[in-house]
Amino acid sequence: MKAINLRKLLSVSAVLAVASLAATAVPAHAGEVGVNSSEIKLGMTLPMTGTASLGYNKIPGAAKAYFDYLNANGGVNGRKITLIVKDDRYVPTEAVAKTNELILKNRVMALLAPLGTANVKAVASSVNPGRRGVPVLFVNTGFSGFADVKKYPTTYAILPSYIMEAKIMGQYIAENFAGKKIGLLYQDDDFGSDALAGFKAAGVNFAVKVAYASGSQGAAAAAGWITKFKAAEADVVILFGVSSATSAMLGTAAVLKYAPQWMLGSVGGDATTIKLTGVPAGVLYNAIGFSPVPATTDLNDEYIKLFSDIYAEAVPGSTFDLNVLLGMNTAFMTAQALKAAGDNPTRKSLMAVLNTKGATLANSALTPLGYSGTSHVGLTGYWVGKYSPTGDLLPIGGTYTTYTTDSGTGAVVKSNYKRPAMPAKGLPK
Amino acid sequence: MHKLKNSNNMGLFIFFGFILFLISNRVDELRVYQGASIAVFVIAIASIILLTGYSGQVSLGHGALMAIGAYSATLARNELHLPIVLSFFIAVLAAAIGGALLGAAAARLSGPYLAGTTLALAVGLPSLANQFSILGGEQGLTFDVGFPPMSLGESFTQYKWYFWISGLAALISMWLLSNILRSRYGRNWRAGRSNEVAAQLSGIHTGRSKILAFTISAGIAGLAGALLSMTIGTVSPSAFPLALSFSLLTGAVLSGVTTLSGVMIGAVTLVAIPEIADVVTNHIGSSENITTNLPGFMVSTLLIIAVLFVPNGPVEAHRVRSMKKLAKKKVNALTKPSMEGNT
Repeated sequence: MKAINLRKLLSVSAVLAVASLAATAVPAHAGEVGVNSSEIKLGMTLPMTGTASLGYNKIPGAAKAYFDYLNANGGVNGRKITLIVKDDRYVPTEAVAKTNELILKNRVMALLAPLGTANVKAVASSVNPGRRGVPVLFVNTGFSGFADVKKYPTTYAILPSYIMEAKIMGQYIAENFAGKKIGLLYQDDDFGSDALAGFKAAGVNFAVKVAYASGSQGAAAAAGWITKFKAAEADVVILFGVSSATSAMLGTAAVLKYAPQWMLGSVGGDATTIKLTGVPAGVLYNAIGFSPVPATTDLNDEYIKLFSDIYAEAVPGSTFDLNVLLGMNTAFMTAQALKAAGDNPTRKSLMAVLNTKGATLANSALTPLGYSGTSHVGLTGYWVGKYSPTGDLLPIGGTYTTYTTDSGTGAVVKSNYKRPAMPAKGLPK
Repeated sequence: MHKLKNSNNMGLFIFFGFILFLISNRVDELRVYQGASIAVFVIAIASIILLTGYSGQVSLGHGALMAIGAYSATLARNELHLPIVLSFFIAVLAAAIGGALLGAAAARLSGPYLAGTTLALAVGLPSLANQFSILGGEQGLTFDVGFPPMSLGESFTQYKWYFWISGLAALISMWLLSNILRSRYGRNWRAGRSNEVAAQLSGIHTGRSKILAFTISAGIAGLAGALLSMTIGTVSPSAFPLALSFSLLTGAVLSGVTTLSGVMIGAVTLVAIPEIADVVTNHIGSSENITTNLPGFMVSTLLIIAVLFVPNGPVEAHRVRSMKKLAKKKVNALTKPSMEGNT
């Protein structure tokens, strides 16, 4: 009887294996992968479902909204851009599986805006876009390591690193809160340790530091944090964590009537995401925040005006927030790089553009880009603002004051960067 | 030590390995990558089948045991620079030790209490990595088994190499398992699962037998974890979410928890579903919302269908049906002549 089972195991397995492996032939492609006479294919993996998807799942819709606008206006040198999006649920195994599909099955030319340090690292190690020569454009993580050209030769960062952000926060504290007691809430992992390194470089002395383990944040935990900040009599409390930690903290503090000067890191400072957790945006009022791109409500800004109009038409009823702006900005930069890569763009010519002209690509950010042949650092700074009663981050005094720095020992300086004018109609020139 | 019988099955496994080898040379890179994932799932689901189907213990925490294996193999490779085979061996050993400890507690628990304990492990254990810098925190550690040997040729891809390694590991562990399950230990587990008191009366130390099941199951799960981190090139806490433990259990139910021979069904289903969902949504051109939720919906539907119609798995259902047919034939054959004699 058991012997029958074993034979069955083999026959069932063999049938399934053959069935699942059938229909695999991939026709040979002429020319560059992902590019033909009428289309350029790009791929994106990010969490579309699950707890980590909150807020981030608006990025593909935003990027597609821009690409659709671009395609309706002639595309890039007559080619329309197709963006294929896959859900990785924020799990490295899924990110690797989906990226493999994008590269090996969908045969995309380049990967766009992958999200999360662990995911990007797993993809770099297993799929190895560096060895395959596949460009990974504008990764959505503040981990400074991805700008390392030797280790990740085809990967380009976009967000300023956590170290840069902490250094700029430190500079702002030195200029505005000298002699005050400073408290810090940070995540007990690489995200937090990058922040600590930045604060150390900026010479910030903390009266109290509270670490939390990822996943442990909630109202009960926040009450405990507040006790510690109260005991240390902190005047300024920096929340350098994820959105759920920010909302737990600000929500609980509002109930307990605890009101120091809040200072929020950009990762956990997105009002739309905080509102989605059920906390009213009003708790953000008067907190200090940091952003590399203009305020999303600033309709005097030519990029914000155009992008928010495009988005409102493409995805009616959805709020134009930071994730949307970053998604559209990424798509906009990609389109320009593709246009500059010539009549017949290739993976190589696309990366050559980024290495030689990348730093001059027009985009909405108010801080310079750091791309060169030896560096894949993206944006290099932040402007400082305060949150309005409706949770919008607005520049202090109405004008953007931007700071720039690096992820190493470089100084933090006030930037006089003049953003290049937007190309006509927001189309690549 | 009781001798493992019927090791003559080895020939069948070698034959099957040869088929896999032939297939691996004919398909493209994406398929060999998926093949490697299937092999990992085969091993992991087999470990659940051994534990749940044969020894009657429930584990919702096999993702955590896989994490133990993955981290041990990575540390052995990165810190001690051990050869790849040895680091896999260490993964098995470390996870087995973890399983033995868990098993000792598990032998005193049953049903929902055991499920709860193992669930807590799945939730808590992977995030421990954030507490020790040697484990690499949230972004994890790189696990590099190296490039395939040059002798295999220039065009031999990394994923084919992964497939060969994990395919071989799957064949060896399946061969071992099928023999263990047919040995005295397998019979003891089944006896304990069917009726614990009766098993004890017939001289089986059910506690010890349960701990042994947990230990072996955990060791195999550890191997699956090490192979998983090989295929994704890294090990990090987020690679072992609670959802992984659940999908293993789903795979085991689809395979049929009491039949090791169905294990490929669950593994292939788990890997193929997202792809089938992709094809379906491409054909009907649906919205993003449907695209992202269809795989989960399909797995849930399959699970419900499996529980309703083939609660012990398709292989077991088929076996029962053919047994009945055979029995009927035999009865007919026996009764027919006598009936004729009567008339």
